[in-house]
Amino acid sequence: MQILITVVGCILFAVLAPVVGCLLAGLDRKISARMQGRVGPPLLQPYYDVRKLLEKDHVAVNSSEGVYIAFALVFAILAGGIFFTGGNLLMCIFVITLSSLLFIVAAYSSRSPYAEVGAERETMQVMAYEPMVLLMAVAFFLVTGSFNVSSAFDQQVPVFTSIWLVFLGFLFILTIKLRKSPFDLSYSHHAHQELVKGITTEMSGPTLAKVEIMHWCESVLFLGWVGMFFIWGNPISIVVAIVVALVAFFLEIWIDNNFARVKWQALMTSAWVVALVAGGVNIGILMYL
Amino acid sequence: MAFASKSPWVIHYDASSCNGCDIEVLAALCPGYDVERFGIINTGNPKHADIFLVTGSVNERNIDVVKEIYDQMVEPKIVVACGICACTGGIFHDCYNVIGGVDKAIPVDVYAPGCAVRPEAIIDAVVQAIGILDEKSKALAAARKGA
Amino acid sequence: MTMIGFLILFPLVVAVILLAVRNNAARNVVVVAASLVIGLGSIWLVAVGLNGASPVYFEFSSPIVDGACTIVGIVVAITVICFGVKYKNYLAVVLAVIQLVGSLVFELNFAHGIEVSTPLYYDQLTLLMVFIIGIIGSAICVYALGYMEDFQAHEPEGALDRRPTFFALMFVFLSAMYVIVFSDHMTWLFTGWEVTTLCSFLLIAYTRTEEAIRNAFRQIVMNLLGGISFLIGLFACVLTMGTLSLSEFLLIGQVWPTVAVFAVTAFAFAGITKAAQMPFHTWLLGAMVAPTPTSALLHSSTMVKAGVFLLVKLAPVLALCPVPGGMLMFVGAVTFLVCSCLAITQSNAKRVLAYSTIANLGLITACAGVGTPEAVWAATFLILFHAIAKSLLFLCVGTAEHHIGSRDIEDMDLLFDRMPSLARFMILGIMCMFIAPFGMLISKWATLQSFTEVGNLALVLLLAFGSAATFMFWAKWMGKLSGIAGQSKNVELSVHTSEWIPIMLMAVLIGLGCVGLPLISINLVEPYLYSTFGELSFPISFDNLIISGVAVVLIIIVLFAGLGHSTARKVDVYLAGVSVDNNNRTFKNSLSGVTEATARNWYMKDWLGERRLDMFGTIACGAFIVILYVVAAFAAAGLF
Repeated sequence: MQILITVVGCILFAVLAPVVGCLLAGLDRKISARMQGRVGPPLLQPYYDVRKLLEKDHVAVNSSEGVYIAFALVFAILAGGIFFTGGNLLMCIFVITLSSLLFIVAAYSSRSPYAEVGAERETMQVMAYEPMVLLMAVAFFLVTGSFNVSSAFDQQVPVFTSIWLVFLGFLFILTIKLRKSPFDLSYSHHAHQELVKGITTEMSGPTLAKVEIMHWCESVLFLGWVGMFFIWGNPISIVVAIVVALVAFFLEIWIDNNFARVKWQALMTSAWVVALVAGGVNIGILMYL
Repeated sequence: MAFASKSPWVIHYDASSCNGCDIEVLAALCPGYDVERFGIINTGNPKHADIFLVTGSVNERNIDVVKEIYDQMVEPKIVVACGICACTGGIFHDCYNVIGGVDKAIPVDVYAPGCAVRPEAIIDAVVQAIGILDEKSKALAAARKGA
Repeated sequence: MTMIGFLILFPLVVAVILLAVRNNAARNVVVVAASLVIGLGSIWLVAVGLNGASPVYFEFSSPIVDGACTIVGIVVAITVICFGVKYKNYLAVVLAVIQLVGSLVFELNFAHGIEVSTPLYYDQLTLLMVFIIGIIGSAICVYALGYMEDFQAHEPEGALDRRPTFFALMFVFLSAMYVIVFSDHMTWLFTGWEVTTLCSFLLIAYTRTEEAIRNAFRQIVMNLLGGISFLIGLFACVLTMGTLSLSEFLLIGQVWPTVAVFAVTAFAFAGITKAAQMPFHTWLLGAMVAPTPTSALLHSSTMVKAGVFLLVKLAPVLALCPVPGGMLMFVGAVTFLVCSCLAITQSNAKRVLAYSTIANLGLITACAGVGTPEAVWAATFLILFHAIAKSLLFLCVGTAEHHIGSRDIEDMDLLFDRMPSLARFMILGIMCMFIAPFGMLISKWATLQSFTEVGNLALVLLLAFGSAATFMFWAKWMGKLSGIAGQSKNVELSVHTSEWIPIMLMAVLIGLGCVGLPLISINLVEPYLYSTFGELSFPISFDNLIISGVAVVLIIIVLFAGLGHSTARKVDVYLAGVSVDNNNRTFKNSLSGVTEATARNWYMKDWLGERRLDMFGTIACGAFIVILYVVAAFAAAGLF
């Protein structure tokens, strides 16, 4: 039964997440433009971009890159389907990691110097954020007694109340996961950087369109993780969760526009220290107090 | 309907410009003109770009680079020559190493003269280019259907 | 019973035959036939065991076997002493003498009166090990045929052909492993234990180079320490409980943990040395000098697995004894983190594999230390999938080494072009090691869950950070392999069939194991947990396992059938518009010369501080072991 629900969830996620993610990306560009004193593109600009990319000629540097990307997208959707049907949080985390891995390998397979550097940095970024993500799942388990996302609805109060420190730690690495400055080492939304386009340098046309759609799905999923902290046994909490997720998204845009990119050492060290302190202290309190 | 006109991504290449036109190209992207209103983004990567903005004249040294960047752009694509040097070679036309305008290397779709070219002129040229881009995009779609 | 005797004795007979066979063709026939027999025999035993009741104990009494064990023990010690004297390594000599005297005293004065009525047994854990030894171990022996032929061809002209000894040792190894997993009589188990130590010593020293000898002695010294600790454990067993039966020992230990604590600590220490945990990890790294089949055997199905097998067996008692349990948890988890980080700093493929083995064994060790049913569930699957994936990787690296002339990961650039099938197998092995939905990660998932449930913060943190480091070193290796330029020459046409078959077998096992994980859990692991702990444990729900299974099938199809089929027009990579030859990544530099764009992987040596990390792990684990050993000794002394 659960499997059937997951399958239906994946199909719904595949349809809805790109829509929501696309609007979020449009909002991101609009808000960023306003922060820079510009008018900015229309809200649907990301949609136009992807439609245009799909219209472009289909070329690739090798015959494997597109396949890797297609499956990265498939697994991103699977992860979303698992999460939004209240499935296992760890399973969701592992599947989205698999998706990141396929994305990385796609870039590596092109053997372009720029894409390779991007892929290496992306690998490093996964290493930087992975501990905090796992600790988030552990903390969630300690509060709810289950790794199932749906168990958040069984709570009297949102899990945020007991793991707010983990939430702050998660917000920190969310910047890495959403590829926002100062942690946009592997791939930046902004032009003119030493990496050309980093990990996506060799992806063009329809392949790049898939990458964009994957990013939309990822954004929705990660904001879903944010919202998960604010869910309790009251339907109203869904509204609260959505509001908090939007606030978190706005915060990320603000960070993106206000900080310059850091060196990788700073990224690694800060991400691990944050995970160790925020995750360690909070989980320690949950376990021993 | 073709979406190419709604999201023209540009790549800017300085062939041998005096930098006057380059500054104007970047000025067009700044808040004052804000071409992102039309979905225009400066990508810096030929594989992502639809419009190739070239400033400066083509010379012996960079002609291969101009050609290669053009070749690496994915169809449909448009070339805009920005500034008089890119159009004809301009003041440098009779230099010992200068070959001439960008059209000596690759087919140019829109010429935007000026020394330096004004941002308004660039925007006009790009808007004109977008029209051609749309046509090319439709042609490509038709060819794909036919094939 | 007959089958058990056959599985133990048959490899010995084969070993004797192989010693006599000098002809290549004849050896090929003997090894292939023997491996088939051992493999089929193991499968048969597993099938029988699964259908019948388990555990099964066999009543059996034979002074001949007891005597044989004593003699084998003496032979092992004397061999070590001879080598020690010959190569002037007196530490090994001293340790061997201590062990020889100790075991003689033990046999003659203490063990004499104690009868073990059921010296042989099997339960589901044994069956799992039988499967690993029988299938993976013998497949590696088959692989070694082709590999050693190439190896001999790479040797200098006129070099001594020691292959008969080599193959004989491989089969003795298998036999000794069977002794370890089948023996309920701990003296017999100890004999098998010592034989594996000696076999790996001789296999590591195979090339007789100075480095090989040095590393072999490092191995023997560390494992003799473990052996002596095992012997101390046996003394403690006899003195405090008066039994030499492993099953009785475990039962008594579960009822009166305080009585068993010292013996368990001693056995745990022995397990730590054999499983190459910090600070004893250096012997497994040194073992890399041996030919690759040896490494594959040591890492996947034998030797180190004997160590963790013993620890997992002890798990129910360890769960009740905080001293040895804590020792294993701490050492295992620290080893996991430190060695995962150290693996990032390595470019030698075999060293990366070695560090990853040590790290994963650390995880198994920590699981055994936790000792809850869930942790043991995780440990069992870690053992199984690690054995399959690691042997696949070693076999692939060995074959790649003979065809591209290097075992450096940097030189495996473009392997996807040069050895398309091998690279895919290697990628499958790598993915099985670190990424969902493959077996190792499912096991790690259960591990994380069990660590969380017992409420141990340190274990959870070490696992979380260690897993992140694991991602880094596997992903960058996989990236290196996956590069495609489309112009390289295919060099895998000359790979021996005897190498392909085991590689493909392992790949098939990965697929079957990951998809059939729920079945293995229900039929093998759950009954074991039920008979050992009296309770069932399903750490991971069936639905999630089904999703994983489907994803595994998907990935395998993509890897072997999906990649390389695309309608996209091929274009060149971007080289800033100044390319000369895109396939070779050469570009025109500022002086109009030609430069090649090269990229090496990240090693993060400065950030991680290789020596600092290694020293930290060694000192922390070493000190912890010594302190807890002493604590256990005092606790034991307090009993009297």
